[in-house]
Amino acid sequence: MNKTLDELFVYPKELVDEESKRVIHLVRQWADKEIISKRQEYRENYEKLFIETRKSLNLTIGLQRLTLPEESGGFGWNNPASTPGIVSVLTEIGRADAAIGVISAVKCVVFAATTLLPHLDKDVCDVLAPIYCADELKTPSLILPGMGTVGEETPLFLGRSILATVEPDGDGYAVNGKNMRPLNSGAVADLFCVVCADKLGRPCVALVPGDDRNIVRGRTLLETGLNASANCDVSFNNVRIPKSYLISRDGVVEQIYTWLNLLLGGVSVGVGMNFFEIVTEWSETRTIKGGTMMKENPLCASVLADVADETFTARLLLYNLAHIMSKPDDWGYSGSQRVYTFSQIIGSQVQQKIMRAINRGLELMGSAGYSREWHVEKHWRDIKTIQSYLCGVGAEAPVKMDTARFFFDCKEI
Amino acid sequence: MKNFDEFSKPEEYISPMDKHLRSALRNWAEKEVMPLRRKYDEDWKEHHLIEPAFDKLMGNKGLGIQKALFPPELGGWGIGQSDYAFTVACALAEEVGRADTGMAVAFMVTYWPLTTILVDPHVNWRLAREFAPMFCETEKAVFAANAMTEPQGGADIENLEITGGKTIRTTARLDGDEWVINGHKLWPTNTGGVAKLFIVPCTTKPGSTDINDFALIFVPADAKGVTQGGPYEKAGMAADKNGDIWFEDVRVPSWYRAQGPGKDAEVFREIIPWGLIGSMGFLCGAMLNLYEILYDFVSTKTYKNKPLKEDDCVAGIIGRIAGDIDICRILAYESARMGDRRNKPYGYPLHSDEVVSKMRNLKDFVSDRAVDVFGKAMDVLGTYGADREYDIEKHWRDIKIIQLWMGGKQLCQMEAARYFFNCKTL
Ligand SMILES: Cc1cc2nc3c(=O)[nH]c(=O)nc-3n(C[C@H](O)[C@H](O)[C@H](O)COP(=O)(O)OP(=O)(O)OC[C@H]3O[C@@H](n4cnc5c(N)ncnc54)[C@H](O)[C@@H]3O)c2cc1C
Ligand SMILES: Cc1cc2nc3c(=O)[nH]c(=O)nc-3n(C[C@H](O)[C@H](O)[C@H](O)COP(=O)(O)OP(=O)(O)OC[C@H]3O[C@@H](n4cnc5c(N)ncnc54)[C@H](O)[C@@H]3O)c2cc1C
Repeated sequence: MNKTLDELFVYPKELVDEESKRVIHLVRQWADKEIISKRQEYRENYEKLFIETRKSLNLTIGLQRLTLPEESGGFGWNNPASTPGIVSVLTEIGRADAAIGVISAVKCVVFAATTLLPHLDKDVCDVLAPIYCADELKTPSLILPGMGTVGEETPLFLGRSILATVEPDGDGYAVNGKNMRPLNSGAVADLFCVVCADKLGRPCVALVPGDDRNIVRGRTLLETGLNASANCDVSFNNVRIPKSYLISRDGVVEQIYTWLNLLLGGVSVGVGMNFFEIVTEWSETRTIKGGTMMKENPLCASVLADVADETFTARLLLYNLAHIMSKPDDWGYSGSQRVYTFSQIIGSQVQQKIMRAINRGLELMGSAGYSREWHVEKHWRDIKTIQSYLCGVGAEAPVKMDTARFFFDCKEI
Repeated sequence: MKNFDEFSKPEEYISPMDKHLRSALRNWAEKEVMPLRRKYDEDWKEHHLIEPAFDKLMGNKGLGIQKALFPPELGGWGIGQSDYAFTVACALAEEVGRADTGMAVAFMVTYWPLTTILVDPHVNWRLAREFAPMFCETEKAVFAANAMTEPQGGADIENLEITGGKTIRTTARLDGDEWVINGHKLWPTNTGGVAKLFIVPCTTKPGSTDINDFALIFVPADAKGVTQGGPYEKAGMAADKNGDIWFEDVRVPSWYRAQGPGKDAEVFREIIPWGLIGSMGFLCGAMLNLYEILYDFVSTKTYKNKPLKEDDCVAGIIGRIAGDIDICRILAYESARMGDRRNKPYGYPLHSDEVVSKMRNLKDFVSDRAVDVFGKAMDVLGTYGADREYDIEKHWRDIKIIQLWMGGKQLCQMEAARYFFNCKTL
């Protein structure tokens, strides 16, 4: 490969300022040095290195504080204008390891709901900032609305069942919910960010410290990918939280979805870019038909083209979304119906594109692609896991409904 | 629909053994595999859990199915000489694949080398007699392997029409009344120390494009000079072990060659439809299981407080999934019939372009649909899609390789183009 990744998978550079570029560069160096250049060692010692590399990323480089306000000790990327920079950082992390990417994305999502201007929630920030600016690795987990079970009526967020409820209890609130499946890290989370329904069935967001005695955790799940994130089902049995831990402003749930779509998209594009790098190496060293370099065979070249163009267009789409989100005065803020809907469309497209890129690329790698040794099968499993989670319910039915509702003014779907 | 048995198949062509075989295999699968299969991934190296299930399927203490291809006079069931060999193969692949496609491939690949000597019209009685006791007279599962793929690539070896065998690096030299074999193979199913018998596609004259120099030679795994590496760790298919095999001056009797010059290339081409029908059967079996799981899921989980299946949008997706499964099954059985028509006046020989190219095309189509259908089903399960407890994700990981093995997807596309458009240079 005689062109750099950034020359190939371009994005409008003017969206990212110089300071952000320095951070992005640091993260790329971290990715190359600590993970990509030693994939074999990383794979064999995964559990240990997963924690160590997360620590160096979050504590040494300091990304744990990335989106906290400057005055609270963070990098101050809690301004909509930082959105393209944040997605760039997530892309670099995803290129190294999707599971680290997902946890990092969730962290940024939680802060987007609590500290992003102009909705900076001072009380919450005052609680979270000291914890996230200290030198201990933190792992938040997100619980979104999803599927319900036959025989149980639940309040709905745009069709999706809200499984947690919140009600006033003394000078705070009590949160309840049975067997909910977080997006990530249920088994190890120190903070849950949970979409709940209030007494009137309205959606809101509760922050629940992970060490509460009234949280019951199921066994750690074995999943297709992202296993290092250590997920499990959780139940809240009357977990009490202070008043300030409930965020009930309009659009906060939409905002969470918007950011999740953007940032998980970033992680997946990063994975796609690393997949591209590996397939490139393969296509330049593998020969077929007794001597033709694989990439010089027109049919194989057409498959390689698919890998490139899915990844290329996914990245462009994503920066388009980041751009929209960085201009709330033009398009509305990230919790508005418009931006929420755009994020659902682009989020879904990005995941599908990267999934297709990897599925196509695997075709050319034959058995090598299927063996753990080449690392691409991990990318494939991780992306499918992210994609399924983002689908949420019934293969994205709610996303389609959101889109139709916005573009066609459907009233009953 | 009553249950997954209602997916279409050509009832008028089904073997008389079908009902009995299916019910025996289904009992075995329900008892020996289904309750344990979620633990198979961690058992990929040791096969502590997997091996006993194989014994009950293949060995004489259990169903004894590994002897099915052998003629009855040698202790087998005579399937190799029946008019239903492919249809039965498809049914077996389906039933075992429904439980675990990795297991299905490991078990069915045992037949694969044997098809070259046990299927009409090429029965090699001397070799049949030689190997019958190994498979017919034991309580244990005994495996065979078809060692085609070499380090430089699997596709070229399966592409004899174009390469003429010139890329094959594994050699066989006749020394008196023995073949001396040298070479390195990798990835065959049932390697990694599992198989007792290999068939080794090789060349008697390196670099030659003369099809008479292509040879298929049986090699017992315990022959001197055979070394096997440990199994590779893979994305799925834990029940199938795959590794390296080195042949270093391995000597076997000269009559261990399957059919002889020219004929070996022909039966090697006949191996392809067998692999393809197995592949389609595995995929259909896995998809039938997907349907069972999905049915339950969409009936019990809700969207907008209604069962998923009662939402028009979700119904559109699951309707398509089930529809695709139905179509794939029809195609798999039509392929099986192509194989079983080999002896009929209106049929074509197994090695003909009509059979090989069309079947490659059908397998390519069915695998693409299966990869899609499993991907979609995981999406329908949403947050539960990647959860091992629902088994769909395991099938998703397992079946991806079915789309890619046997020379790769692009080889299938090229064969289709060559056949349907008479391309000359691809
Ligand atoms: C679980 C499992 C079981 C297996 N079982 C067996 C077995 O039983 N026996 C066995 O021998 N092998 C087996 N294999 C190996 C498998 O069959 C090969 O991996 C497969 O044939 C592809 O070969 P390759 O990986 O060497 O890819 P290559 O041959 O290097 O091909 C790579 C890519 O190039 C494309 N390509 C090749 N030739 C052409 C062409 N002429 N035109 C256009 N494109 C082309 C292919 O489609 C593919 O996409 C198994 C592998 C696995 C993972
Ligand atoms: C060349 C031609 C030949 C034809 N020949 C004949 C003929 O010989 N005889 C004849 O009677 N008609 C004929 N038709 C008419 C044709 O069959 C109808 O157009 C067709 O049945 C659809 O009906 P519609 O156009 O009234 O659409 P509608 O019934 O209004 O349906 C519109 C859309 O709504 C969707 N829809 C409907 N119900 C549901 C539901 N329950 N859930 C979800 N979606 C739904 C449909 O899928 C469709 O996409 C012909 C049409 C053409 C163009």
